[in-house]
Parts: sequence; structure tokens; C-alpha cells
Amino acid sequence: MKNTSLWEIFKIFFVIGLQLLGGGYVIVPLLKKYIVDERQWLKEEELVDFYAMSQCIPGIIACNIATCAGYKTRGISGALMALLGVVAPAFFIIVALANALTTITDNEIIKNAFFGIRIAVIVLVLMTIKDLWAKSVNSIFSYTLFFIILICLLVLPVSPTIVIISAGAISLLYKKIIGGKNV
Amino acid sequence: MFKLHLLLFYEFCKIGTFALGGGYATLPFLYFLQSQYSWFTIDELTNMIAVSNITPGPIGINMATYTGFTTAGITGSIVATSALVCVPFFMTIAITKLFTKFQENKYVEDIFNGLRPAACALLASIGLKLLFQSIKPSTIDYDALILFLVMFIPFMFTKKNPLLAIIVGAIGGIIIKSI
Repeated sequence: MKNTSLWEIFKIFFVIGLQLLGGGYVIVPLLKKYIVDERQWLKEEELVDFYAMSQCIPGIIACNIATCAGYKTRGISGALMALLGVVAPAFFIIVALANALTTITDNEIIKNAFFGIRIAVIVLVLMTIKDLWAKSVNSIFSYTLFFIILICLLVLPVSPTIVIISAGAISLLYKKIIGGKNV
Repeated sequence: MFKLHLLLFYEFCKIGTFALGGGYATLPFLYFLQSQYSWFTIDELTNMIAVSNITPGPIGINMATYTGFTTAGITGSIVATSALVCVPFFMTIAITKLFTKFQENKYVEDIFNGLRPAACALLASIGLKLLFQSIKPSTIDYDALILFLVMFIPFMFTKKNPLLAIIVGAIGGIIIKSI
């Protein structure tokens, strides 16, 4: 496996990055096709493990899985190439569009389209909350934490960084105090 | 000029380190950035999210590149994007090495039991704020309300399809504004 060239890794992940439409989760079937089935760089079980692991690491899920896969294939330089490959298409497309976007939004029809698109974004955010909720809010402790944080956030302008750090600390302390009982 | 890039790097490093749950998890951080620095308006930010949804690539990367670009041009987008990925990159490598140990660690598990609902609450607060702002800026915006209900009800019961949602939203916006 060590003889896989770095350029090859970059190329494959660039192709994957180009096909990523609609969020990080889409990367899993793409990785299965390009890396497990066509190239055998990874086993399917490894891919499933990486996916589970990537969700526990902060940051962009697709980037984290790419880093894992690249690392397993060619060590740290492989990881870097995979990350660059998956990021590059997104980066260049946005940079190319950014200028055009600021000028076309002056057009009346496009303005109206964006009015509707902004509502669509809200619907997408709500759907993401629904997915996250199903995976993460499932005990008395998590319900309590969820609503306390939500109410705090709606009333006060708290930094998300502070919220994440304190939630981790509270959860750790809570488990220490109740001593491993499942509540 | 240079100071702005440094600030961008610092803020996006923080986002990369603390945003848990993928691209959408960066949203609360971006809205917080907006309230702190006013580098862009809320409407611009929401437009950015829309564009990120319909262009290829991880949504979080699209948003970082776009935010960096509107704030400080092409160099800004390089700084923001690399800052966003750098901390998770090293964490991922470290954890890949120690994979089994990491997953079996009880403390890690305990911390994550709190982090997951917190990440969900962060996104929920943004979702609700956005919803209220667009439906009731000062008086009730019926165009926005109708469009929201028309999309919300069917989409909530189907699988998430960002591209379709954005297209329906665009067409709906044009139609409802011309009636």
C-alpha cells in the first residue's frame, strides 16, 4: 500500500470533493466506491469505523474522514494530500463565484429567488436539528441540558465556544457525581 | 490588513476546534462572528449558506472560503479555510493512531454525552432565531410565512435533500413575490 503515489491520493480526493453535494455524509458512499471497491486502499469495516470516529472529532466530517483515509494509505503526507484534495474543489468554486454573487444579487428576480432560498435554508437547518436530536437527545440528562442551553442561547448572546466547553465539563462532572449509573 | 487575517485565523481555528457535528455545526459560530464583528450582514450570511448548499464540496469549507473572501479577499479565504481544517487535521491523525483506546475511554464517552445535546441546542437556537427574523422582522411577513409552511411540512417528512430544497425555495420566492 505504501507505493500509492501522493499525486494519486490528491487526484482521487479531488474527484470525490467535486462530487460532494449536500453535506459531509455524502462522502461515505463516494469513499466506498473509489477507495474500497475500486482501489482497496481501505476495508469496508475501516470506512465505517472512520465515519463513526469522524463524527466525534470537531470540524468538517468529510475532511476528517478524508484525513483518516489518507493517513491509513500513506501516513501523514497521505493525510495532507487527501485533505487538500477534498477541500480544493470547494475552495476554487467558491472563490470563482464569490465576486459574481455580490453583483448578481442586485437583480430583482435573483433577489426574490434568494428571498425564497433563505427560507429553504431555515428548513434545512431545522431538518439538521431533527437528525441531530434523534442521535443525541435521548436521556433525562440530555433533555435537561438541551433545554437549559437553548433557553440560555435565546436570551443571552453566549459564545458557542463557551457553550461547548461547559457542556463537556458539566457532563463529565455529572457522571462523576452519579457514579456511572445510567440516567 | 494583516491584523484582520490574524483575527480571521484565530476565529476560524476556534470554529474548527469546537464545532462538533459537521458543516452545519459551524453555523452558530458564524452567526456569533456576525454579531461580534459585523464583517457581513445576516442576510449575506444566509445567502452564503444557500450558495454553499448548491456548490460541490463540504458545506463547512464552502462557508469558510466564502466568509474569508467577503471579509478579506482571496487571502482571507485561504486563511479562513486553512484555519478551519488545521486543528481537526492533527486531532484526526492522533486519534486514528490511538483509535481503539480513544473509543473505549470512559471519560471521552462522558464528555460526548454532554457535547452532543449542546451542539444540537446551538443549532436549534440559530434555527429559531433565523425563523423569527425572517417571518417577523417588524410585522409578520406573510410571504415568508407561507413559503416556510409550504416547504417545511413536506420536507420535514422526507429525507434531507438540500439541492431540491434550494431549488424549490428559489422558484417559490420568485412566484410569491410576483403575485
